[in-house]
Amino acid sequence: MRILWIRAILLIFLSLIVIRLFYWQIVRAEFLQSQADNQHFTDTTLDAVRGDIFFSDGSILTSSNPSFTLYGLPKEIAKDQKIQISYLLAKALSESQDNIDDLAKELVNNLEKDLYWVPLKKKISFDQKKQIEKLISKGIGFNQGSSRFYPEGSSSAHLLGFVNSDAKGNFGLEGYFDGELKGISGSIRHERDALGLPILIGEFLTNDARNGKNLILNIDRSVQYIVEQALKKGVEKYGAKAGSIVVMEPGTGGILAMASFPNYHPEKYFDYPKEFYRNPVVADHYEPGSTFKVLVMAAALNEDLVGPDTKCDSCSGPISVGGFTIRTWDNKYYPDSTLKDVIVHSDNTGMVFVARKLGLDKFYSYLDNFGFGQPTNIDLQDESSPDIRPKNSWREIDLVTASFGQGIAVTPIQMVTAVSAIANGGNLMEPHIVKEITNDQGSFTVNPKVVRKVIKDSSSQVIKEMMVAAVEEGEARVLRLKGFKIAGKTGTAQIPVAGHYDEDKTIASFVGFAPADNPKFVMLVRFDEPSSSIFGSETAAPTFFEIAKQLLFYYKIAPIAE
Amino acid sequence: MTIIEKFEPDKQKNGFSKKYACLVAAGLFILIVVEIWASNNVVEYGGKLEKLSLLSKRLNTENQLLKNEIASSESLNFVASKSAELGFSPPESIQYIR
Repeated sequence: MRILWIRAILLIFLSLIVIRLFYWQIVRAEFLQSQADNQHFTDTTLDAVRGDIFFSDGSILTSSNPSFTLYGLPKEIAKDQKIQISYLLAKALSESQDNIDDLAKELVNNLEKDLYWVPLKKKISFDQKKQIEKLISKGIGFNQGSSRFYPEGSSSAHLLGFVNSDAKGNFGLEGYFDGELKGISGSIRHERDALGLPILIGEFLTNDARNGKNLILNIDRSVQYIVEQALKKGVEKYGAKAGSIVVMEPGTGGILAMASFPNYHPEKYFDYPKEFYRNPVVADHYEPGSTFKVLVMAAALNEDLVGPDTKCDSCSGPISVGGFTIRTWDNKYYPDSTLKDVIVHSDNTGMVFVARKLGLDKFYSYLDNFGFGQPTNIDLQDESSPDIRPKNSWREIDLVTASFGQGIAVTPIQMVTAVSAIANGGNLMEPHIVKEITNDQGSFTVNPKVVRKVIKDSSSQVIKEMMVAAVEEGEARVLRLKGFKIAGKTGTAQIPVAGHYDEDKTIASFVGFAPADNPKFVMLVRFDEPSSSIFGSETAAPTFFEIAKQLLFYYKIAPIAE
Repeated sequence: MTIIEKFEPDKQKNGFSKKYACLVAAGLFILIVVEIWASNNVVEYGGKLEKLSLLSKRLNTENQLLKNEIASSESLNFVASKSAELGFSPPESIQYIR
């Protein structure tokens, strides 16, 4: 009997053991396997390096800089050592002697938390890391990351945009090409031993990281520098609220320089108001004023409706249109002036004559042909385009005011692209910042793109000569560069405020290209609300010619012997 | 007189298998020793690989830092300020010689 009982008890225990084994080895097998794998395998992420952005000459505009996040392991540091370690770290990390105590207190607070891991400080430099590693060996560690580095400082800020703390590009090139620049992370999965070292004969799975692609721009470093210095000087000298300059190569649509002021530093974008992030060259809408006259004149010439010597029969005084009176900017009138003189004198009444000759239908179609009312498709993230009202809502007054650039809104990039079509013989080019996209596998070249033929070559030659005459005989004649044939036009547009135009506030601009016979560059200079003078001829024009002088020297273009 | 030689095939068979058994045992022993030696070395190489991997990462980091340092020194803002310190200034006028 007793043996029977012992057998029964043994059998029960055996069954319990078998059931428990079944539970762990069959029912919980997957869970235990995954736990074993976690202890046995290591997964390491291979971070992709964000692509670099280069100027046209190969020098760096922005690249990645290794940076480190310092973390602490509170449970590995003895209580009595936390204060000492915090002060050592504070001395190594602090930028000035005054901050050491505050920083040390913050570090002590973090190290006294009941956690296994605490972040202590982000974006530590390599030198600081080396210094800390010499002082402290236990209880802290570093995670490597990267941040953006700008050797040219705040130069080209609006062009570049910035990368936020989530490594996402915003605005400008960083935003537009974020997908290409960021790359794809990889991973390594390998078996490790009890010490955490890889076992070479074990399983080794790698998925290589694909670093981001690099961008080579059309932007010329020297031209960008010249433009930024001149812009900053101009905004201060003329007391303007803001300013923008864009320089384009007319034959290809490549943007050689683009600058706006006020700007910001992309590395410290968070210290600036969000309004600063927008690129005014591609996002600001403004009324172009008299600079628009060259385009309207080009349209009328192209239609063979007028010629440079056609006489204006309505230029002897103010013109009444739809209850409004159209006057010249200086109230001077030139009866029987030619259309060349209309451009030289920037005569609004002459433009009324041209607009009436052209008619609304043709005027409207040339607006579309020159690219207004639609984005230029420049490779920057924040481009916007002002709408053009539907043709059937236009009255005669709208047509005549638009002929001298008021009552119609454009962006600076649209304006310079349209004038480029005059400079290059009539082709509207798609503007591009990026020339080439490269990576380890190869490169992709962004070829110049002709959007459409807007005017005939012969028409462009005629309007060019009129623009040269505007420089040599117009309001800005004192500024012309001896020996160089430069085509250009001043613009002074009143700013619409609450349904009417403010007489004291203007957008002063100058658009032009040089050398006129074989243009190397087209440039638009724009100042918002200059206070020293409201006129483009006294603010934007001097800045244009100052830059043009330097660019002609930079491009080794000699003056014509006189 | 008849001489009877006792035929002992079993004895011969035993001799044959003993020899091969010894060879197999020796071979296995050598393989075991080799495996132990290889495993020890592999563990060591795992450590070396880890060190090389860290060294490679550190060198890449230093390379990137040096590249950026060069870029900073080449930047036009730096060159302009250094030039001004050294007494250089923009040209007042330009003469073209034909």
